[in-house]
Amino acid sequence: MGVRKSYEQDLTYLKQEVLAMGKYVKYAFEQSLLALKINDNQSLTQNIVADDKNINSMELKIMDAAMLTIAKQQPVATDLRRCIVALKMAGDLERMGDIAVDIAKGSARLSENRSRNDTDQLTDMAEIAKQMFDQAMEAYENQELMHAQRVASLDDHVDSKYKSFIQKQLRQKADEVLLEDITQLSFIGRYIERFADHTTNLAEWVVYEVNGQHFDLN
Amino acid sequence: MQTKHENRSVEDNSINAEEKAPLAYNVEQLNLWYADNHALQDISMKIPEKSVTAIIGPSGCGKSTFIKTLNRMTEMNPIVKTNGSIKYRENEIFAKNFSVEYLRTKVGMVFQNPNPFPKSIYDNVTYGPKIHGIKDKKTLDEIVERSLKKAAIWDETKDRLKENAFGLSGGQQQRLCIARCLAIEPDIILMDEPTSALDPISTLKIEELVQELKKDYTIVIVTHNMQQAARISDSTAFFLNGVIVEHDQTDKIFSSPEKKETEDYISGRFG
Repeated sequence: MGVRKSYEQDLTYLKQEVLAMGKYVKYAFEQSLLALKINDNQSLTQNIVADDKNINSMELKIMDAAMLTIAKQQPVATDLRRCIVALKMAGDLERMGDIAVDIAKGSARLSENRSRNDTDQLTDMAEIAKQMFDQAMEAYENQELMHAQRVASLDDHVDSKYKSFIQKQLRQKADEVLLEDITQLSFIGRYIERFADHTTNLAEWVVYEVNGQHFDLN
Repeated sequence: MQTKHENRSVEDNSINAEEKAPLAYNVEQLNLWYADNHALQDISMKIPEKSVTAIIGPSGCGKSTFIKTLNRMTEMNPIVKTNGSIKYRENEIFAKNFSVEYLRTKVGMVFQNPNPFPKSIYDNVTYGPKIHGIKDKKTLDEIVERSLKKAAIWDETKDRLKENAFGLSGGQQQRLCIARCLAIEPDIILMDEPTSALDPISTLKIEELVQELKKDYTIVIVTHNMQQAARISDSTAFFLNGVIVEHDQTDKIFSSPEKKETEDYISGRFG
């Protein structure tokens, strides 16, 4: 177009920052799943907590950039939605960073004899959540609604896996050590399910950015 | 996927809610030529009463020509030819037996640059009523007070009614021109970029005034200020090269316009 070069740059910058934030969140989530697998994960957990501070400040940076763009460029229609969606997605991504911290902290509380079977089940669930996340971010990067729709169907899988996982946990007879593991594993299951829910939010924001419609993908 | 909020139906899409209100104007297949230049092409537009319709579009797109056609001002130019239909309150304004004088008492106009007469504030407002034969001092006083109040300039002028209108600021002069227009008790007010020569505060005062006036009058406003159109109008028509590209509820135009040209224009990418 050329007429509003700095405006285009502002909008492109917002998108790039959200995509960059997405990469940090994905890394934090992957690291938290690693913490779930290994026994001695204290230093890993500390790293995830430290990295989360960066994720939090990225949200604030995106907020400031969107505010300035709105104030200076007075966007309307699709451009305005691009600003609003960057804000909303940054909000969801920040929460997802917190979830990664929660998973890591929960993992640190698990006993050394944690059930491999249970952690594998959680990892399976998390793999689907990760796929959803990739689809949502790809949808955002390329304005591709097919990817956004795929997120919705994958979320159903996560929900059903979460349900059977929790039911299995609650049916167990437990001594005190196992009880702590069951509690933490249930929480972690819930965190992963929440991560997937936030991912559907991301996909919904992509739909809103592209065509201005509110779709409930959850 | 399910919609969270039900979309408007197709019928609702065409400013349907307002279409149910009586029409101040119904324009159908209007064409206008300046000699060989086809300046307005097949313009059709319904303008509901007591609403604000904004006309936007780049320079030379025909928007000023369009509103000047609504009170037949364009025909003062001898090279202008028109065809098609404009019904004002269901009466064809191009009909042979239709009085253009009557039309112009019903349709007032406010221009880009405030153009008060070189007379007192009082005489500016009473100029129209006097031409229409009102001589009674008390009636004229009432008209002056009522018109200046409606134009939100009474408090600033009530103690200086006999002073020359040129002593007022630009924004005050524009509101005086609106008061002068209201003094002849019009039905419609056409505004051709009424704030483009004003400072931001005067602009906002005129915008507030437009919101007040639409309770009693139908307003058609040409503006180059996108945010102004978004703030004050109920419907917005986007003109480009003599045609209406899109006419819809203002909220729709500024959130999700149907046409790419509209979006490119309102987001400042051309024009």
